[in-house]
Amino acid sequence: MADLLVAEAVRKEFGGLVAVNDVDFVVPEQGIVSLIGPNGAGKTTFFNMLTGVYKVTSGEIHFAGERVTNKPPHAITERGVGRTFQNIRLFQQMSTIENVLVGMHSRLKGGILQSVLRTPKLRREERDAFDRARELLRFSGLRGRDNELSSNLSYGDQRRLEVARALATEPKLLLLDEPTAGMNPQETADFTAFVGRLRDERGLTVLLIEHDMKVVMGVSDRVTVLDYGEKIAEGPPSEIQKNERVIEAYLGKAAVEGASA
Amino acid sequence: MMTEQQTPQQRKDEEQRLQEVIAQRTQRSAGLWRRETAVALIPLVLVIGYAIIYPFEAVYTTLREIPGIGDFFPTPGSAVIIIVFTMMAIGLNVVVGYAGLLDLGYVAFYAAGAYMAGWLASQHFEQVTFHFWSPGINPELPGIHINLWIVLLLAGIFTAVVGIVIGLPTLRLRGDYLAIVTLGFGEIVPQFVRNGDNFKGFDLTSGSFGITPIDPPGFGDGLGDGSGGLLPVNFQRSFDAEQLYYWAALGLLLFTVFCCWRLRDSRLGRAWIAIREDETAAAAMGIPLMRTKTWSYAIGAFFGGIAGAYYASFKSGAFPSDFYFNISIFLLCMVILGGMGSIWGVIIAGTILGWLNIEGLGVIGNYLNDWFFEPVTGSRIEVPKYQFGIYGIIIVTMMLFRPTGLIPERRRKLEMEEGVHDEPAMGERAVNR
Amino acid sequence: MPSGRPSLVGLLGLFFLLLIIVWLGVNFVKDPQEFINVFFVGLTRGAVYALIALGYTLVYGILQLINFAHGDVFALSGLIASSVLLSVFGVTTDSGAGLVIVAIAVALIVAMVLASTLNVTIEFVGYRRLRHAPRLAALITAIGMSFIVQNIALAIYDVDYQSIPRLIPNSSVLTIGEVALQWNKLFVLALTIPVLLALTWMVRETRHGKAMRATSQDRDASAMMGIDVNRTISFTFALAGSLAGAAGLLFLLYFTTMRYDTGFELGLIAFTAAVLGGIGNLTGAVLGGILIGLIQEFNEGLAWATPGGDWTRSIVFGILIAILVFRPSGLLGEQTPEGE
Repeated sequence: MADLLVAEAVRKEFGGLVAVNDVDFVVPEQGIVSLIGPNGAGKTTFFNMLTGVYKVTSGEIHFAGERVTNKPPHAITERGVGRTFQNIRLFQQMSTIENVLVGMHSRLKGGILQSVLRTPKLRREERDAFDRARELLRFSGLRGRDNELSSNLSYGDQRRLEVARALATEPKLLLLDEPTAGMNPQETADFTAFVGRLRDERGLTVLLIEHDMKVVMGVSDRVTVLDYGEKIAEGPPSEIQKNERVIEAYLGKAAVEGASA
Repeated sequence: MMTEQQTPQQRKDEEQRLQEVIAQRTQRSAGLWRRETAVALIPLVLVIGYAIIYPFEAVYTTLREIPGIGDFFPTPGSAVIIIVFTMMAIGLNVVVGYAGLLDLGYVAFYAAGAYMAGWLASQHFEQVTFHFWSPGINPELPGIHINLWIVLLLAGIFTAVVGIVIGLPTLRLRGDYLAIVTLGFGEIVPQFVRNGDNFKGFDLTSGSFGITPIDPPGFGDGLGDGSGGLLPVNFQRSFDAEQLYYWAALGLLLFTVFCCWRLRDSRLGRAWIAIREDETAAAAMGIPLMRTKTWSYAIGAFFGGIAGAYYASFKSGAFPSDFYFNISIFLLCMVILGGMGSIWGVIIAGTILGWLNIEGLGVIGNYLNDWFFEPVTGSRIEVPKYQFGIYGIIIVTMMLFRPTGLIPERRRKLEMEEGVHDEPAMGERAVNR
Repeated sequence: MPSGRPSLVGLLGLFFLLLIIVWLGVNFVKDPQEFINVFFVGLTRGAVYALIALGYTLVYGILQLINFAHGDVFALSGLIASSVLLSVFGVTTDSGAGLVIVAIAVALIVAMVLASTLNVTIEFVGYRRLRHAPRLAALITAIGMSFIVQNIALAIYDVDYQSIPRLIPNSSVLTIGEVALQWNKLFVLALTIPVLLALTWMVRETRHGKAMRATSQDRDASAMMGIDVNRTISFTFALAGSLAGAAGLLFLLYFTTMRYDTGFELGLIAFTAAVLGGIGNLTGAVLGGILIGLIQEFNEGLAWATPGGDWTRSIVFGILIAILVFRPSGLLGEQTPEGE
């Protein structure tokens, strides 16, 4: 299968500090790839470069065969990269359905003049957008919550809404930044199943940053491990679980030595 | 927290109402109406009806003679100015209220509009004689004389372009820096027009004399007579000139309100609010930050330009002394008092402050002097002199005790109370966090 | 910024800088004496700007707030100093040196105390409650405060200019050829430099200064480390206010006339100076102030290819805009705390 996302030798420095050190990385189409690593390993920084929030210091990023290095975030979203945030960043004073509608921004065409005149074409577009938004909310498990303020949703529902909003951008690749952080085991299990459905029902490719090893091992085709900005391992979950460098990175050298002794 | 504590129940009610409002609005943007929406329009119709009949002599003179409160009703002439400034405030509201960008130099757009009227509808460019549907003006008269209705549109477009030109390099900046840059433009533009009477011998702005007189609006001989005398040929020469100016101003105001209202509930309006709430998330949802912000500038400027051009025509002149920093603050005060983002609020605050500005402070000052200062201190105080001190007090009081304004936009209320992500989305500053 | 090939913006800036250097060079060659005289005038004016700019920078450094009211506090304290000189001491051009010195000293103390009290009050009444509000809310409040203070000055002194006799003579201290340095300029310069040194020392070395720097870095963490954040911020406003008071008197002595709205435009110019030097940076504020003073006087005083005084305001604000757009960190490029 072709690679949807290709990052070559991507590097980010803040001042003198190297946050991401020449990382090569690919995500195959329709794959579910996880990016793991201890806190401060540069996972979110890497995400932010993929989505254009940060500029790369050097390296190249290609998406669906097109160079997207240092393109602004909205341009990358337009090309089919949707994302969620580590700390939920919903538009809190908007209703759930409005949040989803904002996500559709780049897929709608309504211009200024049309909006002022509210032409039949625009009305049709808006009505279709509403229907699709409602459908997305239903798909994400938020049926009937259309007009609730997003800040009033429970934590798990806010996570769902973030995904619904990201789906509204009609992505080919969905980036989820620690989506199960703060969820209870039941919610986490539901969410893991949900990620599986995203690929199976919607044909999406998913890139996941995750701390919960159960989620990672359960859902991923492939896992990449970052530590201090460097890629230290890559492979199927079963291999990663046994990889010494990974265990060392997570638990420290002593633990590894202690285990082998 | 900036407002008084609410009980959980009150808070829940408030949120319930907000949800209803938002639901209505979202349905509106898809053209779905409900009976509630129609009922809500009744006060609107009443207010507009009142506004339309107000300038009839029988109406406003009667109102002005009511003992005690008669002084609170402005003359139609003053009302024109009130309406024009309210219109500008609604334009500014698009920038400050919707997109959350503080603009301290809105007066630049007012000036640009006024000078467009000066250039395109006066004898200023006497080197040429160009008439286009000029309303009842001697065709021999030198200068460019384009019908003012067209000039208004051209002024709006020109000002929108000015807004884009100012916006493109500056809208990347963080909120407070942007405010300062707009303030800078607001200071440069008046100086530019003041000094613009001699660019290598070319007189662009007539310097500190300003451009005067400026043509009045009108429908010209063809259209005016063709309508059977219903449409005035030339406002200035009609015996009811002030009323005509008033109704036209009211029409422009309604046009502005209508456009801003529709835009708020559109794809663009949602994008503005998204940017106001969280730039980073908005960009990640595919909203082009620069373009969307620039549109808010252009649209805000568009209405400022139209209002400026119309006002210049009303008082038949564009003078550099009209365009000073305080005007920007005066307009900002209207937006803050009314409630940032709230069209109704801005209309009401614009009416109140506009009235205070031209008649009200004098009226209130007289009351105060008669009933308080003169009997107590033995001297009278010139209250209008302190108008900007009074606006300052209004601004500070509002920001401290009711930052969401008299009639808060529902959404904005929660934002002001709970704070938003107001750091920039891109650039090294965000990166370094 | 990742360094690489020079950007278009950078080249444009360099080109512009080159033009200025050529312009100054030609003017110098054409009339060197006039050039140096104008240079001294600009330097003095710049010193006054610098004193006001320091107040903006101090407050911005700690609260990231542009204290619009600062310029008006400056003007009000200058006006009050004029009352002290004229009404209390009744100084005239004929007054003896002793009386003049005492009067100036008292006026300085009164102006500084008053201005810092006023500044602390403004912070206490206005900005303190808005510390956790969106940044723009505080900025808007600052604008409101500016108008209030300006109108207090208007209420006391009306719209007329308050003028004092020239107390510091403008006779020359030293003259070389046609180049001369006058007493009043020397006085202003001699006052600004020690103030800057003292201020720098205070912020770098004293306990209060360290508390200020800590608070500007991270308010919450400072509070946890036992720093009284409220007191530190009040102290900063007092310090900024006393600088405004000193600047008010200095302005009055040097220019001899001011009125209620002098502070508005001067405040904006001084703010520009602070931004030019790099807001939050004390040395930057002085550098920026002097540069703006020089630019203004060169523009108004030089003969060859100058736009002239009519354009001063546009030039100053043009610089402000250019700096904010192209190099928001200013000349001395200290990042504002939240950027680090």
